[in-house]
Amino acid sequence: MTGITLDLLLLQVFTGLALGTIFVLLAVGLSLIFGLLTVVNFAHGAFFMVGAYMGVYLLGVTGSFWFSLVGVPLVVGVLGLVVERALIRPLYGRGLDYPLLLTFGLGYVLVDLIRIGFGIEGRTFSTPAALQGSVDIGVGHFPLYRLFVMAVTALLLLALWWLIEGTRYGLIIRAGARDPDIVRVLGVDVSRVWLLVFALGTALAGLAGILAAPMRGVYPEMGIPVLIEAFVVTVVGGMGSLRGAVVAGLLIGMVVSLTSLVAPPMANISMFVVMALVLLLRPSGLFGRAGLMG
Amino acid sequence: MSGETILSADGVGKTFGAFRALRDVSVAFPRGRLTSIIGPNGAGKSTFFNVISGALLPSEGRVVFEGRDITGLSQHLLARLGIAKSYQITSLFPQLTALENVRIAAQALVSRFGMWRPRSALPGLVDEATALLDGVGLGRRLGVPAAGLAHGEQRALEIAVALASRPRLLLLDEPTAGMSPEETRSIMELIVRLATERTVVLVEHKMKLVMNISDRVVVLHHGEVLAEGTPDEIRANDEVKRVYLGQGRPAAAGLR
Amino acid sequence: MSALRTALGRVVALCGPHRVAVMIVFFVVFPWLMPYKALAINVLILGLFAVGFNIVFGYTGLLSFGHAAFFGLGAYGCGIAIARYGLPWPLALGAGVLLAGVGAVLIGGLSIRRRGIYFAMVTLALAQLVYYIFYQAEPITGGENGLRGVDVRTIALGPVALDFLAPTVKYYFVLVFVSLALWCLSRVLESPFGAVLEAIRENETRARACGFDVDGTKLAAFVLSGLFCGLAGGLKAMHLSIVPTEVLHYQTSGLVVIMALLGGMGTFFGPFVGAAVFLLIEDQVSLVTAQWQLVAGSLFMVFVLFFPNGIWGSLLQWVGRAP
Repeated sequence: MTGITLDLLLLQVFTGLALGTIFVLLAVGLSLIFGLLTVVNFAHGAFFMVGAYMGVYLLGVTGSFWFSLVGVPLVVGVLGLVVERALIRPLYGRGLDYPLLLTFGLGYVLVDLIRIGFGIEGRTFSTPAALQGSVDIGVGHFPLYRLFVMAVTALLLLALWWLIEGTRYGLIIRAGARDPDIVRVLGVDVSRVWLLVFALGTALAGLAGILAAPMRGVYPEMGIPVLIEAFVVTVVGGMGSLRGAVVAGLLIGMVVSLTSLVAPPMANISMFVVMALVLLLRPSGLFGRAGLMG
Repeated sequence: MSGETILSADGVGKTFGAFRALRDVSVAFPRGRLTSIIGPNGAGKSTFFNVISGALLPSEGRVVFEGRDITGLSQHLLARLGIAKSYQITSLFPQLTALENVRIAAQALVSRFGMWRPRSALPGLVDEATALLDGVGLGRRLGVPAAGLAHGEQRALEIAVALASRPRLLLLDEPTAGMSPEETRSIMELIVRLATERTVVLVEHKMKLVMNISDRVVVLHHGEVLAEGTPDEIRANDEVKRVYLGQGRPAAAGLR
Repeated sequence: MSALRTALGRVVALCGPHRVAVMIVFFVVFPWLMPYKALAINVLILGLFAVGFNIVFGYTGLLSFGHAAFFGLGAYGCGIAIARYGLPWPLALGAGVLLAGVGAVLIGGLSIRRRGIYFAMVTLALAQLVYYIFYQAEPITGGENGLRGVDVRTIALGPVALDFLAPTVKYYFVLVFVSLALWCLSRVLESPFGAVLEAIRENETRARACGFDVDGTKLAAFVLSGLFCGLAGGLKAMHLSIVPTEVLHYQTSGLVVIMALLGGMGTFFGPFVGAAVFLLIEDQVSLVTAQWQLVAGSLFMVFVLFFPNGIWGSLLQWVGRAP
């Protein structure tokens, strides 16, 4: 363990939090969709990948990272709208497996469509000029862009929290997660809520895609490991729990980051060990069965 | 044998969040008798049924079967101890034939993990299933998939499925729900016949149906035991009258 | 049309009781129906993989997204036994099947109690764990480059040594194992245990109330399925003479889901139909365009939306014999 100072450790914790924020964005979208629609979105990684590529495209057309950052979630969200309406809606009421299988197939298709549009080679996505360099955070220098990603995620989570806890829409979302029939009785068009929630979840995945692009690179298969990571986070946090998604996302980020410091070969494996432990000790996840905001 | 208790609920309570569905319910079910649990809507009958049948874990108290604490025991172990049940909402193997429904249930007693010999080589199961189906009046419907049977026939099939595990205790939750008067009559006759050979606990909303056939009646109200006794004692009970009459519904006619 | 339908229905009804024999006869002539032998071998191996997967997906109603783990464990187990320890192939194949079985006990033990939707995610994640472990253990597994040197040149059959490198020999060698596996599966499905699987698929609550240990039965089915997939993996290793890391990859888990659904879940012959269709698409479409996955993925979505019973299942339904 020589050479590992406290500062290095703390710096690695920060790196883990930055990694974790991407997990959080993905897992929150996944949990939101599952909590309301009981659909496990196997195309979530593909939406993430499409987000990154839309970032590449919009940046190429407009030259503005900031414009792309706003545009990507919109584009991917609209894609989500179309997918829910055209492909997933016909499958409601046919059991939980069919929407899952469909989104799985959709993942294949999206990956190949991107290959056709952008080629099979990966793209680089350079960090925007304003966010290059690093800042001293007391324990060492930390990349500015990662701080930016953490800040954006924190702001988004606050906005989401406000949407769900503080607005009429949130009330419907919370009630709908508990019992769709109640919402239906109240005269709300449930299918519309589902549509919007699916779009919101995919938009978050797309946003995670463009945010992660400068850190992880952009390539057609980039969504596959991400999908699995998001699943691990969701299982650890508790399916359908937003608080669980946040806590587990940050936790897993730190576990992976710290493992890569002390035992690099174990870094990939560490998150699965956490998941196995949670499954053995707390089978419904850290925050399972507590409702959407639990 | 008549004084012996086969099943008892001791101080059973059940809460759902802030809602108290059952409060300190203690009931002893005598062996070999037909005991009915009645009560107005929302009295906690179904919750109580689910607790004594092991589908719900009580928040407090325990359930004892033949001297053994069975609280929280898994469903399949309860079945092997000799407790069978028929649910309020029909629960069968819909695509399998009536015969196969009962045959599989009977198979649970003899082979659960046998992977090599064909199932048709298990001796006696088909005959046993056929006899049971004859007994519930489905002798001519052996080859019909469960989903293709009429509602009343499905309820009868469910009873045959329950009987196939040779239970010492049979729990029935509103077996006549949604039935026509003729279907109701034939099912009630069947239940009376079954009760001559084993202990039966019957949860029923329609008081009138059970008063003439039960050995004992337990009345639940607001999640508590309101009264317990022979049908005659229940008929004479002022509190029971008040509860049923207080609802202002003709079900009280059963009290006469 | 209706005459054809009736006739087909009669044929299927006649074949039913002898399904294993009928399939073996079909596979004896099958290589001549395919463009080349290697494709026929792949149909057999991946079809067997899909048959194994079908035990949980089709017959028990569990959607696993981690079956690459068992295919891969079978392949690596067999491959390592041959390439690293020089074991004769029958022992190596057994080692592969055994390793897959152990993997199925562990993964199944962790995941089987997770209902429905969790199950797909947990199996996927645990299979990925297996992938990373084998990827990392380079001294034994060859890591990223795959495991090389799984050389089986001849199959000794008494005094005769068969040339395993000849495609025809290889095909019939694989067919012997596929036939044995199908015969075993047919027996299991006919057995009391098979009846319990049907009961669980139809109504889990009632199966429990009848006295069946549903979780235990599911775990047994899961392990059985793992053994079949392990055998397929072992045969794959012998066939390729290397074990690429892809056998453990997410895509392999997905591949078997696609094949089983395309063919028809819960049908006896469906998995082979699915494997054949998928491989033909891969083979033929990739001649025209590199984007054969687009075609396969779209076709898969069409089947999920409109033909959930798959090709073989829909055909059985059409001739009036429900799958």
